[in-house]
Amino acid sequence: MDDDSRVPLSNLHAAGNLLPTTGEASSSTSRSVRTEWPTIDGPLGLSHEESLTYARRFFKLGFLCLPFLWAVSCFYFWPVLRNPRSQQSHPRLRRYLVGSAIGFFLFTTILSSWALTFAIGGERLFGHVWGELVMYNVAEKYGLAGWI
Amino acid sequence: MEQNPRPRTVLETCGEEIIRIVTPVSICMLLVVILVSVLNRGSSLDDGLSFATMATMAYSESSSDSIWDKLKGALLNSLVFVAVVTVATFLMVLLFYFKCTKFLKYYMGFSSLLVLGFMGGEIAIFLIKASSFPVDCFTFAVALYNFTVVGVMAVFLSRMAIFVTQAYLVVIGVLVAYWFTLLPEWTTWGLLVAMSLYDLAAVLLPGGPLRLLVELAMDRDEDIPALVYEARPVISDAGLGDGVVRRRVWREGRGDFDEDQRLRSDLVPGSSLRTYIYGESESERNIVDAEDGRALGGDSELAAPLMQHINIRMNSLENAVSSENLALEGIGLGSSGAIKLGLGDFIFYSVLVGRAAMYDFMTVYACYLAVIAGLGITLLLLAFYRKALPALPFSVLLGVLFYLLTRLLLESFVVQCSINLLMF
Repeated sequence: MDDDSRVPLSNLHAAGNLLPTTGEASSSTSRSVRTEWPTIDGPLGLSHEESLTYARRFFKLGFLCLPFLWAVSCFYFWPVLRNPRSQQSHPRLRRYLVGSAIGFFLFTTILSSWALTFAIGGERLFGHVWGELVMYNVAEKYGLAGWI
Repeated sequence: MEQNPRPRTVLETCGEEIIRIVTPVSICMLLVVILVSVLNRGSSLDDGLSFATMATMAYSESSSDSIWDKLKGALLNSLVFVAVVTVATFLMVLLFYFKCTKFLKYYMGFSSLLVLGFMGGEIAIFLIKASSFPVDCFTFAVALYNFTVVGVMAVFLSRMAIFVTQAYLVVIGVLVAYWFTLLPEWTTWGLLVAMSLYDLAAVLLPGGPLRLLVELAMDRDEDIPALVYEARPVISDAGLGDGVVRRRVWREGRGDFDEDQRLRSDLVPGSSLRTYIYGESESERNIVDAEDGRALGGDSELAAPLMQHINIRMNSLENAVSSENLALEGIGLGSSGAIKLGLGDFIFYSVLVGRAAMYDFMTVYACYLAVIAGLGITLLLLAFYRKALPALPFSVLLGVLFYLLTRLLLESFVVQCSINLLMF
């Protein structure tokens, strides 16, 4: 048992817990050695312990009004998210990821419904306030486009 | 260790590495060309920035000047710019010498914040204005805030998906390159030529600041944060088990790799980022890059943050065991032969092609081919010489040459042929 933090989970085979190969680099592996990496980068990504730390950090930081961070976190740990059997192998990691995914969907729904209402409703719905809220007018008013 | 079922040829591994660096360069150039064609449709050719920036401090071009005046002005501007860049690079060498790494790191993060936040926001506003896209200010603010914060995190704060980091680096390159295309025409061309000559000098001369920086970093075995684009390394087909084993073998420093690996690891170009590359068999050192700075923004305050970024990927044996994460990072990305190209190269290539786009698309095609050819030549030379090489000179000088030839000679030929329905 080596102390390489990136040791693949091949030793889990002994426990009878076969995990499908995941990650980009493993797509063409020979099937005799199956390993599972928690990140989408495969062996270039994080180890399992680090993944938990990063997933937790992304989840918490996403509450600062950063749904994109949640989306990126889901993308990064996609192998864990899409594989239902990781519920046993990475319960905590999966919990953070599911939380991130739910948060991302909720936030995006709210934001996009507001944005679509604004765009489609237009002047009819908002009256003259529309002209004051739309971005190109705001940019004109405050001279935001003149720096460059 | 099981045998590879299908041994990868040198051509495959080299080719894939090269593709992985040519693709983002091409994407960056394409985006700049698109931005330039969409946003500069209304303005005239010689419209420069109306206020003073670092690059136009010495001389503000106006379309009514004579050619000789413009030439002198462009020369003056470029000299000033190169001088500022040199001073900034030396400053960075000094800071690195006094081990102010944290400061450099935060500075780099701050510049990416500026670029992504302010310049990204401005260009987004331009696009919105140009297309009258009905987005409201709240959505825009939230989107920009998200984009910026995740970008700063991806580029230097925390580790993130390689794809996301690469995408953000390309975006930063696009934004800075677009800003450069806003400079007056003669100044831009003068700047390009001057920067490639500076690149040549700073890397190859013994007193050059970048060379000093790189040697310092190698002596100390330190890692400097930098804006460097790193291509995903080519992992062998034989399987992860193999890959992991090989990684461990690298850590232990055994040098028994096949030819493919060693050749792959040698293809690391420098840039206005220099790259030292040594094959694993020679030393376990690895890619060292440095990038020089460029002025941002219009005001003198914003012009201050010159992005000086140095990235040193060390993979020395002694560190491999102690700092596991760093070593594994180094092994995973550096020593497996991932090609690293500095962001300065992306930027100047894109500036060249963007400027060509402001004239006509014919020049774009010619300059694109010239830049890629120059990049290929640089990679070839790198494989030969195996030391730090600047990536700007060949591409930029070839690009400028092709631009002039196309504009002066090819265009009249093609236009006459088309008018007389002869060809095309």
